[in-house]
Amino acid sequence: MMTTEENLVVPMTKKQRKLLSMSQLKNPKTLKKMTPWLFLIPSIIVLGTFFIIPILEAFLWSIQDYKIIAGTGEFVWFENFQYIFSDPKFWNALKNTFLFLIFILPLNVFLPMVLAVLVNQQIRGAKAFRILYYLPVITPMVVAALMWKSMYAQGGMISNALLSLGIFDSPTNLLTSSSTALFAVAAITVWKGLGYYMIIYLAGLQSIPRDVYESSSIDGATPFQQFRKITVPMLIPSVTLVSVMTIIAGMKIFEEIQLTTGGGPAGATSTLVMYIYDNFKQLDVSVASAAGLVLLVLAIGASLLQMKLTSNREEDLRG
Amino acid sequence: MKSHKKTLLVRKIFLYAIMVAITLVTVGPFLMTIFMSLKSASEGIYDSVLPMAPTFQNFIDAFAKANFGSYFMNTVIVTALAVPLNLLFCSLAAYPLARMDFRGRGAVLAIIIATMMVPFQLYMAPLFQLTGELGLRNTHIGLIVLQVSTAFGIFLMRQAYLRIPKELEESAYIDGANQFQVWYKVVLPLVKPTLVTLAIFTFMGTWGDYLWPLLNSESSSMYTLSIGMASLAQNFDGANLKLISAASIITTIPTLLIFIGLQKFFISGATDGAVKG
Repeated sequence: MMTTEENLVVPMTKKQRKLLSMSQLKNPKTLKKMTPWLFLIPSIIVLGTFFIIPILEAFLWSIQDYKIIAGTGEFVWFENFQYIFSDPKFWNALKNTFLFLIFILPLNVFLPMVLAVLVNQQIRGAKAFRILYYLPVITPMVVAALMWKSMYAQGGMISNALLSLGIFDSPTNLLTSSSTALFAVAAITVWKGLGYYMIIYLAGLQSIPRDVYESSSIDGATPFQQFRKITVPMLIPSVTLVSVMTIIAGMKIFEEIQLTTGGGPAGATSTLVMYIYDNFKQLDVSVASAAGLVLLVLAIGASLLQMKLTSNREEDLRG
Repeated sequence: MKSHKKTLLVRKIFLYAIMVAITLVTVGPFLMTIFMSLKSASEGIYDSVLPMAPTFQNFIDAFAKANFGSYFMNTVIVTALAVPLNLLFCSLAAYPLARMDFRGRGAVLAIIIATMMVPFQLYMAPLFQLTGELGLRNTHIGLIVLQVSTAFGIFLMRQAYLRIPKELEESAYIDGANQFQVWYKVVLPLVKPTLVTLAIFTFMGTWGDYLWPLLNSESSSMYTLSIGMASLAQNFDGANLKLISAASIITTIPTLLIFIGLQKFFISGATDGAVKG
């Protein structure tokens, strides 16, 4: 460790000495060459130390049997991957991650769109409603998760509502039943994102010319027909943006699950992120790293999709 | 004509009814939390929705007994450290990436965009080990290592720089200013709105951060509000729930105040942040 540090330090100081000599400083060419790096160096040090090195280490650990307490590891190559791919808990987590995404995707696409159309109208108080709808977005996630946990609890608001609506015969906590827990958790995520995606849609709505609506209402179109035939088709670019953002954010959610169900009951809400977290807690950091790489592949796939879609959209706009 | 007016009125009432109903969904949980936080010790948590004898005792207890004064201070300290550092580091790093031509620029940009895609859960274990080795475990600095400079912040600032016309800087160079002076005196004042947006992102990210503080704080003396609440929630019983509700309100008020004060930046920030994912 020491020797590599010295190797790094010595050429740096030589360069610096060279730079600091007055004749060089007065040489505008050298100074100009260094300037970009002077701007960049604080971030390079920070991001290099706390992002790049840990990320590279995670790659390394995924092919080792790394012991985090001893700080050593032997190369085992693909054993960690073989382990997770034969671990039913991993497949369960992957299944839950996809189920979760499939559940929140239509809700995230549709509900905020309705909200955006409602608050985009030229009526009194529309601005105030916008703020009230945005409130969940600014709530810290821990607060949101615990608020909902209390409402889900037996005797809490939701449990009471389900009872009085006759959906259940006895007080039921949706979080503690394995058939409903994942959806109960997903409701928290959807609730928290409503206002955010509403803003994305509002930006899209503002690009629709008003006279399209005016001329269609002269032709006798009802608001519902306008929504279906004008608003929705014109919002398709926003729909793709919201979908991909939902997928990227949805596969990383943690607080809603860890604080409400902890992945239970019986693994019913254990997602890929919870699988990684649980392995890390048991100090199986190599298994956690291997599963982390699976998450990375999924995240990169979704991000590339987003880049492709947004660049297509920019081309459309330039069109 | 009269019937047309009537249908318009009906439509309007219907519209407001829907909007109020949605408000109950978005704001309802806050109301429930406020009611819960005002319930007295003798009152059962689910006896009634409204507190029967409203009291601020839970807020007093949260500070006096449950240590939330210290958690609040820790959260203030890490946020006060993270926000200015993040603004400085990101606005510095983004400038050459937007305006200067140098070898390695493409590579640096590519690395920055690539790191934005990496989920935190991939590298949290190595980071945990690293902060231990560097003596940053259980320290305020250790809690903000992820916020000091962010790829997202650099990206956001670069976009802002690219939007300003180059002529302004060129005339400053003709007047003999160097690149730092141009950045500080000409460019930064022009991107103030983006700086505010980034400050909001960093504030929200640090104030409510959960997973990293959960890993990196070992003793309750280093707990932030999020960790303090989560640790109380391990015993999710009636007494704790009232305290958690009070703490939830204490935690949310600063973000609410910032939201009310800087509303328009939240709106523009939401669409800027769409690139973040």
